Amino acid sequence: MSAAVVPSPAALSREPAAAPAMPDILPEVRRRGGLWGAALRHPTISMGAVLLLLMLFVAVFAPFLGTVDPTALAPARRTRPPGEQFWFGSDMLGRDIYSRVLYGARVSLVVGFAVALLSSAIGLAIGLVSGYVRLLDGIVMRVMDGLMSIPPILLAVALMALTRGSVGNVILAITIAEIPRVSRLVRGVVLSLREQPYVDGAVAAGTRTPMIIWRHILPNTLAPLTVQATYICASAMITEAILSFIGAGTPPTIPSWGNIMAEGRALWQVKPYIVFFPAVFLSITVLAVNLLGDGLRDALDPRMAKRL
Amino acid sequence: MAHSIDRRTVLGALGLAAFPMPALSQGASAKTLRFVPQSNLANFDPIWGTQYVVRNAAALVWDTLYGVDETLTPQRQMVESEEVSSDGLTWTFKLREGLKFHDNTPVLAKDVVQSLKRWAARDPMGLMITAIQKELAPIDDRSWKWVLSRPFPKMLLALAKNNAPCSFIMPERIAQTDPFKQVTEYIGSGPMRFVREDWVPGAKAVFTRFEGYVPRQEKASWLAGGKNMLLDRIEWVIMPDPATASAALQNGEVDWWENPISDLVPLLKRNRNIAVDIADPLGNIGSFRMNHLHPPFDNVKIRRAVLTALNQEDYMRALVGSDDALWKPLPGFFTPGTPIYTEAGGEVLKQRNIAAAKKLLAEAGYKGEPVICVVAQDQPITKSQGDITADLLKQMGMNVDFVATDWGTTGQRRAVKTPPAQGGWNMFHTWHAGADCINPSSYTAVRANGDKAWFGWPDLPEVEKGVSDWFEAKDLAGEKAAMDRLNTAALEGVVYAPTGFFLSYQAWRKNVSGIVKGPLPFFWGVSKTA
Amino acid sequence: MLRYIGQRVLATVPVMAIVALFVFSLLYIAPGDPAAIIAGDQATPDDIARIRESLGLERPFLVRFGEWSWQILNGDLGTSIFTSLPVTALIAQRIEPTLSLMLVTLVLAITVAVPLGVLAAWKAGTWIDRLVMAFAVFGFSVPVFVVAYLLAYVFALELDWLPVQGYTPIANGIWPWLQHLILPSVALGLVYIALIARITRATMLEILSQDYIKTARAKGLGQRAILFLHALKNAAVPIVTVIGIGIALLIGGAVVTESVFVIPGLGRLTIDAILRRDYPVIQGIVLLFSFTYVLVNLGVDLVYTLVDPRIRY
Repeated sequence: MSAAVVPSPAALSREPAAAPAMPDILPEVRRRGGLWGAALRHPTISMGAVLLLLMLFVAVFAPFLGTVDPTALAPARRTRPPGEQFWFGSDMLGRDIYSRVLYGARVSLVVGFAVALLSSAIGLAIGLVSGYVRLLDGIVMRVMDGLMSIPPILLAVALMALTRGSVGNVILAITIAEIPRVSRLVRGVVLSLREQPYVDGAVAAGTRTPMIIWRHILPNTLAPLTVQATYICASAMITEAILSFIGAGTPPTIPSWGNIMAEGRALWQVKPYIVFFPAVFLSITVLAVNLLGDGLRDALDPRMAKRL
Repeated sequence: MAHSIDRRTVLGALGLAAFPMPALSQGASAKTLRFVPQSNLANFDPIWGTQYVVRNAAALVWDTLYGVDETLTPQRQMVESEEVSSDGLTWTFKLREGLKFHDNTPVLAKDVVQSLKRWAARDPMGLMITAIQKELAPIDDRSWKWVLSRPFPKMLLALAKNNAPCSFIMPERIAQTDPFKQVTEYIGSGPMRFVREDWVPGAKAVFTRFEGYVPRQEKASWLAGGKNMLLDRIEWVIMPDPATASAALQNGEVDWWENPISDLVPLLKRNRNIAVDIADPLGNIGSFRMNHLHPPFDNVKIRRAVLTALNQEDYMRALVGSDDALWKPLPGFFTPGTPIYTEAGGEVLKQRNIAAAKKLLAEAGYKGEPVICVVAQDQPITKSQGDITADLLKQMGMNVDFVATDWGTTGQRRAVKTPPAQGGWNMFHTWHAGADCINPSSYTAVRANGDKAWFGWPDLPEVEKGVSDWFEAKDLAGEKAAMDRLNTAALEGVVYAPTGFFLSYQAWRKNVSGIVKGPLPFFWGVSKTA
Repeated sequence: MLRYIGQRVLATVPVMAIVALFVFSLLYIAPGDPAAIIAGDQATPDDIARIRESLGLERPFLVRFGEWSWQILNGDLGTSIFTSLPVTALIAQRIEPTLSLMLVTLVLAITVAVPLGVLAAWKAGTWIDRLVMAFAVFGFSVPVFVVAYLLAYVFALELDWLPVQGYTPIANGIWPWLQHLILPSVALGLVYIALIARITRATMLEILSQDYIKTARAKGLGQRAILFLHALKNAAVPIVTVIGIGIALLIGGAVVTESVFVIPGLGRLTIDAILRRDYPVIQGIVLLFSFTYVLVNLGVDLVYTLVDPRIRY
């Protein structure tokens, strides 16, 4: 299912819709031995990171890894099986699948990271405002409810019709769908922190609100937010593939794993390699990001970490 | 796997015993045919909506006065006889006896007259007749007359043609609906009833046999002859995913698939239970349509440059795959293999020449204006042509602005006449059914009457001269001469760039027999054994 | 409690209004012309303009929105542009398959995932735990259509155990109905299995570290008894949570699953309607979704209070 349906587990366990903020996000983050220490203590982090770095490498250095122009057509040499000339075979228009898959890594990673960053940033801002400014809370949360109830697929198709199929629109559509979840998460953290004695103390001492947010609230949201962001990143990459499947994804002039699979899917029974290679790359990348997320979650949340 | 099939049958039978009317058990019946159409039947008024899929379904439910046979010759269908006055101005028609609508009321001349009026408001040939019409009125219950101010020699073709909209006959009260509004009652005059309760738009449409239909005595041939139904029930199952449709056919869950994609055909051919054949011998013509109103394609030299650089083989391979039996180069605009087909003036399309194209571009003073290509991604035919075009224009050194969108948006954007930068366009892709491109009568896309022309608005008087010459031609030789001039002028001015002629397959289970090649699926004469 | 429910139901009104306005404006500014699709490719620009006019698509935004809102308030979702069938009828036709798909998916996901999650928590830190978690991560990582094609190939084409596609109403018998839903549900359910298994495991780990469990252990209650008692109770939380957030999101997966397995459900209706710009249908479906979403979340919150006595309203 979709990305969409891959709803960030972190959010789930922590933020059952509209239930009171769960207390287990509260403990303050203590970085013991920094990221490296965490990576060493949590093998999933190193595993995820290595795989992800590998994909990043592939994406950045795609032109130097024995690829040809991923958009060069050769209809006379279409649907060749993997071999000397086409390492991963050629697609329906005779394009080299190996080159397309390698270049496709760029789109998937850009979509994943951009959606994660954008939705975290915007969701954070909305969540902070909503959690801190009681007056706006009701309205903002109703709007978020509304947004959450519109299927992301519908949004994506509408956006594509509005302008055109582009990587930017894919990012925008998935981001809009993710913002409500992030803002709810952040809001939950803020609401529970407001009641903490040290925040009360800061307020009593006359510290200005932006300073309180900056000093006390923000640092505490970063841990759950980072974890959430990795899951969003993973689910965004899957959503990109699904959008391509229904023809609302990235334009065909830009190879992406989603549109390679979408184009080849009708032939899966006769030319399985067209779908197979991008599917494997996508799965590995999503797996890497998820592993990273799990590791971070364990590392950043001491209460969970203790038990593993 | 015999045992699992047995188990399924047994369970099916149990279901039958336990519940009244299970749909699954009907699927197993030899009198029920399950058909996978080319696309979704989203509406069912064949005059209001003229998509091919609507016409195909409508041909089951409504009958026509005349019908074309497999030689594209008009034959009498609901009509018993006709008479035309010696001056060619007054046509008198008489209906066959015993014709009934699906509500069991008789078909009367007044129903016919009203149906013709509604049809004529929407059909290109109908509009030509309306323009010269003096009177269209019933004489008695079974006969009516059509009085014109000028002779219209192609009258029978207009009433018999298979191009949408066909002149389907409906009851008078239904035909009184505004031709630009959809009818909501589907009382047919043809061999099958439309089961409205079972219609799930986007998923399923069901037709059952109409006992009161009176077929002609002649042998069936396309839309002509005796439409004898050997099936009790036809279920159209809409399958948006070709991979699934292929699997369902292999598994015997459906009986007949209208348009298998060609790459899957080798797989289907290997299955001994499946037969594969060309679906429509009249095929389709791919189109690269340019906007003649705005730069760069307002310049004929740049349009010619595209023709010069274009390689139809690339387009056709992208469309039909590796099967060479499925496509032909098309150095012209009309359907190959039909009587007045011509290749006059077609040299430019026979050989690709990028260098010459670049030279033409330079001569025309192309300054790198962006070419806005509006390409629908949800239609396989437009999508694969678009991929080739992006590559082609790039090779020619043109500045491509590729707008990936859906068919709904393409349909709207192509109607916009403003400059491309203000929401307009430079080119889009489409395709035309070969059946529509046999002659200029129903071929709106080849017309070049400027503002009145189809999207792109070519204004080429020479082309229009060819069209009127054809309409006025008295014999085949005259028609051919007119067509030669038309084809040459249309290529010189580049009304649009044809990307080739292509065919598609149809596939069916071998326990089904009687399926013929034709411009639409014909269900009469088709039977199925268990 | 009743007061709370009342407030929550009232709060749905602004949500629905926001959604309605948002979707309506999005559709209004989005290009795309149903008239052009209806008219077919041979139609002249004039024909298309006439059809558009007869569909009332030329009128200004506020007039159309006002009219539509008035209809909604009168309980009428309007008529589909393409089929000229009432939107309510179109939706009604499609509800059973989608509900069935979701129901079977959910039941399947829960029956597989909860024991898996409990097992993983019980054996936390061992290779069993790692295996379950590896499977859970994997479940997130494969696009649904890849799984769907694989399942169809193996179980329908090669083994011929189950049909490739289609849907049979439950009125035709439980088995024919279920038979058509097994493959789609497995494909759609994989992510849910992964998700619920993770949440169950996390919840269980937390419970196991609580004081009262420690007390129970101290009292000599067996590990198994503790696990089963609390597993059953705690399974409810992840389940309702997933249902709660899944309504809008599930449509994404359902669209693909329904397309691949030719199930005439709401997902396909949605996509067809969007691609064809059948505005009344899109609006009707979106309203239905948001209404269900709000309602289900209300239900979920109420279930929380039943499951977890610490939560009070």
